[in-house]
Amino acid sequence: MKTFRGGFHVPDNKELTATAAIEQMPVVTDYYVSLSQHIGKPAQPVVNAGDEVVEGQLIAQASSFVSANIHSPVCGEVVGVVQRKNAQGANVECVHIRSNGKQDKFAYPKLSEPTPQQIVNRIAEAGIVGMGGAGFPTAVKLQPKDPVDSLVINAAECEPYLNCDNRLMIERTQEFLQGVRLIAKAINVHNVYIGIEANKQEAYAKLLEQEGVIADTKEALQNRQEDDIVVVLLKKKYPQGAEKTIIKACLNRDVPVGALPAAVGCIVDNVGTAYAVYDAVVNGTPLYKRLMTVSGRGIVNPKNLEVPVGTPLSAIVELCGGTTENTTKLVSGGPMMGFSLVNLDVATTKTDSGFLALTDKEASTVLPTPCINCGRCASVCPMRLMPMYIDFYTTVGDMENAIKYGALNCFECGTCAYVCPAKRPIVQSVRLTKMKAKEKK
Amino acid sequence: MANYVYSSSPHIKSPRTTRRIMIDVCIALLPACIAGCVLNGIANPAFPELGWLSFMHLAICCVTCVAAEWIYLLCCKKPFKQIVREFDFTSLVTGLLIGMNLYPTSKWYVGLLASVFAIVIVKMLFGGTGKNIVNPAIAGRIFAFIAFGATLGGTMYFVNPSNNTPLPVTSPVSHGSMTGATPLQVLLGSAEAPANPLNNWDLFLGTGVAGTIGETCKLALIVGGIYLIIRGVLNFRWPLVYILTTGVVSVLIAWVDNTRAFSTVNSGTISIAFEDALKVFLPSILSGGLMLGAIFMATDYVTTPNTKLGNYIYFALLGILTAVLRRVMKIEVVSFVILLGNILVPLFDLFIRRKPFGYVKPEKKPRVKKLKSEPVSDEKAVAKEGK
Repeated sequence: MKTFRGGFHVPDNKELTATAAIEQMPVVTDYYVSLSQHIGKPAQPVVNAGDEVVEGQLIAQASSFVSANIHSPVCGEVVGVVQRKNAQGANVECVHIRSNGKQDKFAYPKLSEPTPQQIVNRIAEAGIVGMGGAGFPTAVKLQPKDPVDSLVINAAECEPYLNCDNRLMIERTQEFLQGVRLIAKAINVHNVYIGIEANKQEAYAKLLEQEGVIADTKEALQNRQEDDIVVVLLKKKYPQGAEKTIIKACLNRDVPVGALPAAVGCIVDNVGTAYAVYDAVVNGTPLYKRLMTVSGRGIVNPKNLEVPVGTPLSAIVELCGGTTENTTKLVSGGPMMGFSLVNLDVATTKTDSGFLALTDKEASTVLPTPCINCGRCASVCPMRLMPMYIDFYTTVGDMENAIKYGALNCFECGTCAYVCPAKRPIVQSVRLTKMKAKEKK
Repeated sequence: MANYVYSSSPHIKSPRTTRRIMIDVCIALLPACIAGCVLNGIANPAFPELGWLSFMHLAICCVTCVAAEWIYLLCCKKPFKQIVREFDFTSLVTGLLIGMNLYPTSKWYVGLLASVFAIVIVKMLFGGTGKNIVNPAIAGRIFAFIAFGATLGGTMYFVNPSNNTPLPVTSPVSHGSMTGATPLQVLLGSAEAPANPLNNWDLFLGTGVAGTIGETCKLALIVGGIYLIIRGVLNFRWPLVYILTTGVVSVLIAWVDNTRAFSTVNSGTISIAFEDALKVFLPSILSGGLMLGAIFMATDYVTTPNTKLGNYIYFALLGILTAVLRRVMKIEVVSFVILLGNILVPLFDLFIRRKPFGYVKPEKKPRVKKLKSEPVSDEKAVAKEGK
């Protein structure tokens, strides 16, 4: 089974929602649609207070090349643009929409035989961003400066608890594969891989049943047709789903330090993104809904939900039966890279793959102790850094040395901090150093 | 509204803590401790009190180490409750190791003084857990060695294997031979072979071999080491590299010395050479403090390099030094070698670094040959002329 060097097997806890079918989130009264749900400049609102909007209508426009359109998740009235905290704790501008119960829908014209340029334009129109968590505008990603020969679909979903990509591949297999083919067409490549972790056997079997999809075996690869999609089974190991590690595992290429995957002729897209591309091109539906796993042992009824963007988390938690009494931590996203929340007064965005309520037994609250130099952090680091030094130098305030040991190359997967027996806040140190380095610039 | 914990990711962490690791090390040391007490007590019918003395030494060292750490922290005005809550068992490991390095016949205060030295001066004054530059237990052992001589303040017993009667030995030179280097020295030609030399099984099981409490039974030490490997605390490579290098280099030294063991090499066949090599190899890895040092002391996390390559070099270096210095000094040198190695560790970490994933070698700038007298550039010349 293919994999990368380093990493650690983190208990995945996926059984909580692995078999839960996708459910629709019912309409709620208030939606707070953030204007910066992506990397890049916040979108420019094109509606005013008092305007009536329909589901799928453009409410904010991309303000620069690296930015994304935002559409209304519901029929209703724009109350205004308000300042609200996002999951990361920063103040962002949100369009407050109050639903009016109407059922109208706006959709772009359907494209039956689109050209690559048409697909890219539609992706930009529909405001599709990387749905794995980073939120990089997909249209920008699909127009790389370097020549590209391969497309890797990241179906590893290595974050524990999360199941939304898994369920999507099981329940909407054909739509997902169609989305993958559309992305491949948009960048004009025939070398398409889907990297899937070994703990998703059901989805793996389902994908292989489809026409034009082959397994990553010698015999299958010999009989490969030109447009066959290769499904690569990857070892269950965190962080298998990071961009660089999945390229290493699927294509055996090393992305240079500080470079994008396009530097090695490769583009990586998430399962959710592929489905959104399908939806936008074939159905003309812009991106205003996404799949979310609501899980953790602090949630009474863990579910996989299709949630409109801007839904307050409190409504979602209510639908899932609320939280148990011993809940100690709320997390937006996965437990390894997600953000902990102070309260439920936060709305969902395009990049939220999950919401977790962790109990005192799951969430670690052990206080840090001195580093004992065991070297576990270094042995699991997928970037082969030496996190103990980054943590040490950051703690003593020596940012230059922390950078010298590669703090800026870290992608904050958190494996080091997970395995650390002294519970050192290594990722926090890295973030601090990155912040200081940014300030210096 | 409940108060939720707010922190940086990751939000889940492995259940392994420093305390768990140290408790595992304590458990792994127990077989050797028990074997040391039992072998010294039961196996020596003439001196049954040696078993109780061994136990007493271990107890004194453990209690002193923990007490020294706590008293030091109390002097630093740390609340007692917090000290107990944050107790991570590292000082208990140090205590056990120092106790295991004493002879059953050592004076009772030797362990006490060594423990206080190890904890207060070597560990706490440098900043406590994880900050010490040398292994406290090693430093404690060497402190005792230097302060009280090779006999560690006790009367030595050399067990006569023929009738199992202990013979008191007091000369420091015989200390090495006592702890088991005898077969090695015999092979090296530096000592006369006794009538009934110790065989490898005796060395392995620690029966009929007088030595320090923890070093005698190699089997118990290996069992403890395997426990640590299974628990994921110890990487099996490092003790293996150390022990094997020591054995191989010892064989090479013996070969160079052209000793009796290899007198047959020239005339004999390869199989004889192999047997002879084994005659040096096994005693050299089974004797003295090598097993204890290699499995439990040299592999202390704090005082080992942080890179794989660094560790390979480090442990191989320890092995070479052990074999060479044993030959030169004719005494057991493992603890000194580890101490020396510990001091070199920062150098390993300074010079051996990992290359990050996807590391691109920076292009070398073409070297510009420096001329001896720098030609005055036109501008400067103009400026000078202008003046």
